[in-house]
Amino acid sequence: MRLHATILQLKAMTAQQSGSRRRLLAWLPGVIGVAIVLYTFIGGGYLVSVVSFGLIYALFVTGLNLFMGYTGQVSFGQNAFAAISGYMSAVLTTTYGWGVAPALACGIAATLVVALVVGYPALRLKGHYLAMATLAIGLIAYEVAVQWQSVTQGYMGISGIPPLGVFGYEITSDRGNLAFLALVAGLGVGAAALIRHSRLGRAMTAVAGSEDAARALGIDVARYKLLAFLIAAAYAGLAGSLFVHVVGFVSPEVYGLHMVNLAFTMLYVGGIGTIAGPLVGAIIIILLPETFRSFRDYQDMAYGAVLILLLIYAPRGLASLSDLWSGRARG
Amino acid sequence: MRKIAMIGMFLAGSAAAFMGQANAAEAYKIGISAGLTGYVATIDRAWSDAVKLAADHLNAQGGIMGRQIEVVVEDNKSEPQAAVTSYKKMISSDQVDIFVSGCVSAGNFAAAGNVVRAKLPMVLCSILPTQPDHLKWAFTMIPPPRFEVEVRLKYLQDKTQIKKIGVIYDPSPYATVQKTIAEKSAANFGLEVVGIEQYKHDEPDLSAQINKLKSEGAQAILKMGVGGTTLTAAKNIKQLGLDMLMLTSLEDVAVLKPVGDVLGDKFFFVASPAQVYQALPEGALKAEIDQFLKPWRAKFGDRDPNWAGRGWDGVMLIKRAIENAKSFEGPKVRDAIEKIAGFQGTTGIYNFSPENHQGLTENPLYLAQFKGGVATLAQ
Repeated sequence: MRLHATILQLKAMTAQQSGSRRRLLAWLPGVIGVAIVLYTFIGGGYLVSVVSFGLIYALFVTGLNLFMGYTGQVSFGQNAFAAISGYMSAVLTTTYGWGVAPALACGIAATLVVALVVGYPALRLKGHYLAMATLAIGLIAYEVAVQWQSVTQGYMGISGIPPLGVFGYEITSDRGNLAFLALVAGLGVGAAALIRHSRLGRAMTAVAGSEDAARALGIDVARYKLLAFLIAAAYAGLAGSLFVHVVGFVSPEVYGLHMVNLAFTMLYVGGIGTIAGPLVGAIIIILLPETFRSFRDYQDMAYGAVLILLLIYAPRGLASLSDLWSGRARG
Repeated sequence: MRKIAMIGMFLAGSAAAFMGQANAAEAYKIGISAGLTGYVATIDRAWSDAVKLAADHLNAQGGIMGRQIEVVVEDNKSEPQAAVTSYKKMISSDQVDIFVSGCVSAGNFAAAGNVVRAKLPMVLCSILPTQPDHLKWAFTMIPPPRFEVEVRLKYLQDKTQIKKIGVIYDPSPYATVQKTIAEKSAANFGLEVVGIEQYKHDEPDLSAQINKLKSEGAQAILKMGVGGTTLTAAKNIKQLGLDMLMLTSLEDVAVLKPVGDVLGDKFFFVASPAQVYQALPEGALKAEIDQFLKPWRAKFGDRDPNWAGRGWDGVMLIKRAIENAKSFEGPKVRDAIEKIAGFQGTTGIYNFSPENHQGLTENPLYLAQFKGGVATLAQ
C-alpha cells in the first residue's frame, strides 16, 4: 500500500516537473525574441531598423493571428487596413499639420469604420469565398492609393512625415524607435494573450472549432467573427501608422501584396494560433534576409530553403518548440 | 531532440552571420541601393555594373587622389522598405562615403532622410526627392522628363502630318510626370492630345487602351514607361490592324528590338547618345562615350549602354567633385558637385548649381528607329 502511494507520488512529481519544463519551454521562443531585440538595441547598427520593422510586423501579424489563428477565419486583405491608417496618418500630419498622436488615433478609427462597413457583409462568406473577398479589399485599397493622386501622390509617395512623438517630444533616434516599438509590440502581444484567455477568446476558439457547435452553445458567431475582424483591423491600422512615422515616407508599394505574403510567412513560421508566434515569426523572418545578405544573388534561394526547413522541422511554428520537447519526452 | 538541435544550430548560425557584418574601410566607398530584382532590375543592374566598371577603371589609374574605390551594392528588390534597410546597412555597417543609387524613386525618397542625417551626397538614376532638405543632398544623372517628351513631340511636328495623339503611361513617378508634360505641352507643338490611358507594369494586354485612343482619333501613341509592355502594345497595334505610329520612352535596346521587328518603320524610340553612337558626329560627346564604351563592350559585349552610361558618368562626376573640393568629406563633396558646370558625360553636358540638381540642361536625346536591326537616327 505504502509502495503504491510512493509510486503515485513519484508519478505526480514527474508530471509536475514535466509540466513546469513544458511551461518553461513555452516561454522560450518569446524569450529568444526579447533577447534578439535587446541584443540589437545594445549592438546598434542598421539591424536596429530591421528589428524595428520586425516589431511593426509583429503587431500586424498579432492581429492577423487573432482572426486566423484564434477564430479560424482567413483574410488576405489586412494590408488594406494598414494602408488606410498609414495614409490617413501621413496626410493628416503632412498636409493638415496634425500632431502624430491624434493623426494615428484618427487613422485607427478610420480603419475600424472601414472594417465595420466591409466586414459586416463580407463575413457572411466562408472559406475560399471569404479569402477572395478579403483579397479584393487589399487590392482595392492598393489601387486607391495609386490612383487617388491628389491625396496620396500615387507612386511618388508622401515624404516628410514627422517621426513618432507626443507633446512636442519626438523620437528621432533609431534606438528610441526600437525601444518605443518594443513597448508597443509588448503591449500588443500582452493584449492578445489577455484576449486569448478571456470570454471573447474562448468564444473565438469555439467559432474556430465549429461554427455550428459554437452556435449551439449560444455563441453569436457573426458577432464574434466581426469582433475578431475589427480587432485584427485595429492591429493592422496601428502597424500601418507606426510604419509611416518610423520611415517618414509612404507609397503604395509598402502596402502591396508583398506585405500579405510576408505576414503569412511570419504567422506560419512563428506558429499560428500561439501567443508568442507572431512576435517570434516576425523577428525571425525579418532578420533572415539579413543573415543571408552576403550570399548576394543566392540570398533569396537561401531564404526559401531555410523557410522550407523550418516548416518541415517545426510545422506548427517556432512557438511550438515545447511540443517537440514533450514529443521527445513521450517517445 | 534532433529537430530542436537542428533549429538551434540554424538560429545560432543566423545570429553569428548577422553579428559579424561590420567592416572597417580604407578605400573610398561608393554605396549603391539598386533594384537588382523586381521591376527595375534591367535598368539597375546595368547602372550598378557601370558604376563598378568605372570604379575599376579609376582604380587601375590609381583611384581618386590616391585612394582606391570600393563599391558596395545592396539589392533593394525595387521596394521602399528594402531600400531603407539597404541604405541604413550601408551607412552604419559599411560606412560608405557617398551613394550612387539606382532608379527606384520611392526607395530613394524613403531613405533620403537617413542619408541627409548622415551628411552623405546621393547621385541618383531616379527623379529627385521633393523635400527641400532632402533635395539639397541629391543629384540626378538622368535627363529631365520633359526632354523625352519634347523630342517626340518635335519629331511629330517637324516630320509628320499627324495632329492628334494619344498617351498611354504606367503609374510610376517618372512616367506620370511625362504624361503630365505631354498633356500640357502638346499644343506648343501643334498637336492635340485626344486621350490619355493608364496601364499597369504587368498588364498582359493593352488592346482596350489602344482601341480607345484610336476611336478618339489618335494617329500616334506616345508610350510613357519602360518594360515588357512596350512589346505588348506593339503586338496589340499589329493584331488590331491599326495604322498608327508608336513612340516610346528611353529603354534598353534589347527590350526595344523585338518591338521594332513587330512594328517596323512605325516604331520610334527616344535614344540616348550612347545608343546611337555610330551616327554621332565627331566631338567631345563622342570621345567621352568612346572612353566608356571601350571597357563596357570589352566586359559586356553588345549590352545596351543607355542606363550604364549615366552610372559611369556618376562616378566620373564624383571624381571631379572630390578633386575640386580636395576632400572626401560628404558635405564638401556635395558643395563641389553643386558647383560643377560644363561636365561632359556620355549623355550630354551636366551643369549643376544650387538651384539645379538635375545637371542636364540641354536636351541631349535623339529620336531613333531600327533599320536592319540597328538603332539609327529617325529621319
